[in-house]
Amino acid sequence: MTGDIERYLAVAAGLFAIGAIGFLTRRNLILLFLSVELMMHGVGLTFVTFSRMHFTLEGQAMTVFSLTVAACEAGLALALILALFHISRSLDVELWSDLREPDLSIPISPSDLDPVTPPEEQEFPKLTPAGRAPVFPRKPVVIKTSGSMSRKV
Amino acid sequence: MTLFTLALVAIGIWLQIPRSRNWPRWIGMTAVILGGIGQFLCLRIPESPLVNELLFWLFGGGALFFGVLMVTGRKPVYCALWFAMATLSTCCLFLQQSAPYLAAATIIVYAGAIVVTFVFVIMLAQQAGATAYDQRSRQPGLAVVAAFVLLGAILTVLNQSSSKLIAVTPPPASAPSSDVAAAEEADAPAESDKPAVEVANSLSHPRPGESLGTLHGTGRSLFGDYLYAVELAGTLLLIASVGAIVIAPRRGQGT
Repeated sequence: MTGDIERYLAVAAGLFAIGAIGFLTRRNLILLFLSVELMMHGVGLTFVTFSRMHFTLEGQAMTVFSLTVAACEAGLALALILALFHISRSLDVELWSDLREPDLSIPISPSDLDPVTPPEEQEFPKLTPAGRAPVFPRKPVVIKTSGSMSRKV
Repeated sequence: MTLFTLALVAIGIWLQIPRSRNWPRWIGMTAVILGGIGQFLCLRIPESPLVNELLFWLFGGGALFFGVLMVTGRKPVYCALWFAMATLSTCCLFLQQSAPYLAAATIIVYAGAIVVTFVFVIMLAQQAGATAYDQRSRQPGLAVVAAFVLLGAILTVLNQSSSKLIAVTPPPASAPSSDVAAAEEADAPAESDKPAVEVANSLSHPRPGESLGTLHGTGRSLFGDYLYAVELAGTLLLIASVGAIVIAPRRGQGT
């Protein structure tokens, strides 16, 4: 009942769905783009699976081009994220919802506006200083060469 | 059975998505793992060798598991690392599907370039401590329902059409079929006047006796059938790099 092709397609569909959940729910700009990349992984896996099913290389060539577009998209998206961050000093995507209809309310529920509990302090290990600080010569070392020439190192 | 395990995974993801009053993490994770195991039991092939089954379980399940961890994580740096792990698992799935060039390129581009750039941006732009937009999410119930209705529809269609999803057996090396003959004639310039059968993208088919996805075959396909597209992709990369430099915020004078 279950074929070898089918289950790879199922995994690809699962990757796409998980990426879609991340894109719809997360509010961090960086995580939005990571979710989009996860969806592109699902699409690429589908292309490769169909390429194996038909025994041609066309699907793999298509995935190479989608890889190129993903690289371009990542560079541009990160430049855009940095530009937006310089304007608003925050990575929240809710600050950039100007294009929605004006009569819609803020798309988060009021219970989400409660203050955030800060994370507990983490204990980081500290290294005890060992040995003595190295002493470097502060003056250039003059090396005598043959003859009267001398050069500084 | 399939839909039941899907619902279990959906509930698990919904429980883990960050919100104002968080459920304990292990409840959602247990639901996701149990549902995933049930889902993969539905996808089992009894007659295939054990190694294939193990590799598929390891990497397919790993890709989905790390994807769930990435989507529900609360710290962006950890999310980037889980994304790198999901990428590696997907690349291993590419390798199993006889696409070694694509697997290597994906590892280099994604895990080597994109994830590192993301981590750089996180270090440049992340605020210290917990931020409100990482601890809250928009409409988690609606998003989970929408995504899993889509996934259930896709899996149902796959289940019903599994009789048609059968891999084509490669043509034997001794008896070239019409596709292969056309591919050979396209290679030979002397006989290219009247090819016997016109096949679209004839260079993208592996030669008789050649396995799928060799470097030779991939290069022949990319620089034969898709030569103009490769040049366009290079131009696109150039334009994107220029655009990124233009868009990126520049510092003041003198620094």
